[in-house]
Amino acid sequence: MSDESHAHSGSTLKVGRAAALCLLALAIAYGIGGSVIEYAFSSDPLGPRAFPVALAGVLALLAVWYFFAPGPAEGFPTGGLLVRVLAVPVLLVVSVALFEPAGFAASIFVLTLGSALIFGAPPMKALIGAIGHAALWWFVFFYLLGVYLPVGTLFGG
Amino acid sequence: MNLEYLWHGFAVALTGQNLLIGLIGCFIGTLVGALPAIGPINGIALLLPIAYTMGLPAESTMILLAAIYCGAEYGGRISSILLNVPGDAGAVMTAMDGYPLARQGRAGEALALSGLASFVGGMLGAIGLALFAPLLAGLAIGFGPAEYFVLMMFAFATLGSMVGSYPAKTLIGCTLGLMLATVGLDATSGAYRFTFNEPELGDGIEFVVLVIGLFSISEALIILENQGRGMTVIRELGRMTARLSDIVLCTGTALRSSLIGFVVGVLPGTGASVSSAISYTTAKRISDSQGTFGKGDVRGLAAPEAANNATACGAFVPMLTLGVPGSGTTAVMLGALMLYNIQPGPMLLVERPEIVGGLVASLFVGNLILLALNLPLVQIFARVLTVPNWLLVPGILVLSIVGVYSTHSSVFSIFLMLGIGMVGWLLRKAGFEMAPIILGFVLGRVMEVNLRNALAISGGDPSILFSSTICNVLWVMAAAVAILPFYLSRRSRRQKAVLATK
Repeated sequence: MSDESHAHSGSTLKVGRAAALCLLALAIAYGIGGSVIEYAFSSDPLGPRAFPVALAGVLALLAVWYFFAPGPAEGFPTGGLLVRVLAVPVLLVVSVALFEPAGFAASIFVLTLGSALIFGAPPMKALIGAIGHAALWWFVFFYLLGVYLPVGTLFGG
Repeated sequence: MNLEYLWHGFAVALTGQNLLIGLIGCFIGTLVGALPAIGPINGIALLLPIAYTMGLPAESTMILLAAIYCGAEYGGRISSILLNVPGDAGAVMTAMDGYPLARQGRAGEALALSGLASFVGGMLGAIGLALFAPLLAGLAIGFGPAEYFVLMMFAFATLGSMVGSYPAKTLIGCTLGLMLATVGLDATSGAYRFTFNEPELGDGIEFVVLVIGLFSISEALIILENQGRGMTVIRELGRMTARLSDIVLCTGTALRSSLIGFVVGVLPGTGASVSSAISYTTAKRISDSQGTFGKGDVRGLAAPEAANNATACGAFVPMLTLGVPGSGTTAVMLGALMLYNIQPGPMLLVERPEIVGGLVASLFVGNLILLALNLPLVQIFARVLTVPNWLLVPGILVLSIVGVYSTHSSVFSIFLMLGIGMVGWLLRKAGFEMAPIILGFVLGRVMEVNLRNALAISGGDPSILFSSTICNVLWVMAAAVAILPFYLSRRSRRQKAVLATK
């Protein structure tokens, strides 16, 4: 993989600063959320709000420190590599969505076939690998370890 | 000194079932360590839910996880030596002299010698743990809520100053972990915090969901980005035994590095990457009179290997006696204990000696198993380096999904794990490490509960946090470890500037 497929150097400062601003926003949202926690009573003088509000304050201060001294960050992938990286979570979401309706074996087949292709396997090897994965993991978990796994509501499971 | 717990532990560790579990753990750990893509935390994160779902008792699960941890420290050297890519963080320094040795056609010797150094480090670390754990637990028995809270502040201060070069990032990671730990029902007031009316968040974010998301899902994306970065496995291993002259030459280095490794491991929050770096630079300073370090010096190989295995044992000391993890991996193991509703701390040794004793004894047994596995079977472990990512990563993804589903039987938990994994990946791209988040999460609830209990005892008076000698000593130690690195780096910069002007 070439280095051109990663955004580098100057952009790492921007990555750090953008992350710091996101963390600051998170601290504010978390602090507001923590300060309006509803409760009827508490058996301790601190109550359920103080700890989260204090954490929000700590995070806000750290985010400001981080903003001014972001340190190194890895570049984000670009181009074709970015597409492949983003395809992994999409594939995972699809496979998990299939998990209960289509069952473990079908869902894992889709996941392992797709991820093998994303990771550069030749199609035939990816297909054989996916069949192997689905069969192997089904055997290991369902028969060997006795883990409950969905058969699939579509198949009457 | 009362070592009765240890004899009881040997009785636990030497049962047929636990010996088999230890053997399986050592084997898997060495494989996991050998693979550059995954480290001990990933291995433990993936196998923890499966061990739990199989209904293994807590002591057997801890023996399995400890065997994986120690096995990974042994296995990490294989890819460092043969591939010049460390199998885990503790094996980074191993490549400095291991890879040049392999390039000289002495890969087999390097693997055998580093296996022996690992054994020395692991055994001495286990002895240190066996002796030190009851002492520290005895001291900590007098800890009240205030002392515990300050102890955790000390742990975070150590972590912030010793892990990575950017304390802000480490401390942000800890804070994020603490924040994640506040999600769910607050047991004291009955209030739901940050659950967004989602019933599945009522019990909080499950540990397995967080740890698998952060370590496995984000790791899969990192592997995808890094794959194909010109790695060449050295296949000619040559002679497969260490020379007696090299063993003699390395003995002092291995003993010294084991001591360094153990001490660093005991410090909360620090891990094998720190100890192997310190032991390597110490060995280089003491022994490198001819400038051979970095060019294939066997002492440069023995130092980090002895240290990282001793560190793995040392990291169990604060985890088992104080309930504060000594490394990212022991943080995950602490979470495993909590999965069994077992609260770690000084009373663990009294209330559940079979867990502490079984784990300590299993380290002795495990090191013998690992030596027996690693010397004759190293060629088999080396072959794992040739497994292509397209076959390996789908397996990791399957284990991640099944691990979460088998523990919670909930698709929501899997989606939550995916979301956490994506956030983890973004954080890693921004240069954050994941271990501080886990440490913060594991300590979060205990820290808040102890703070609130301390203030309940004092009627809301915060001076209770400064009221005992233990508290004050811990505050001073926390301040020292927080300030010392800044002072040292400033002094070193000033010295460099003076040298430059001269």
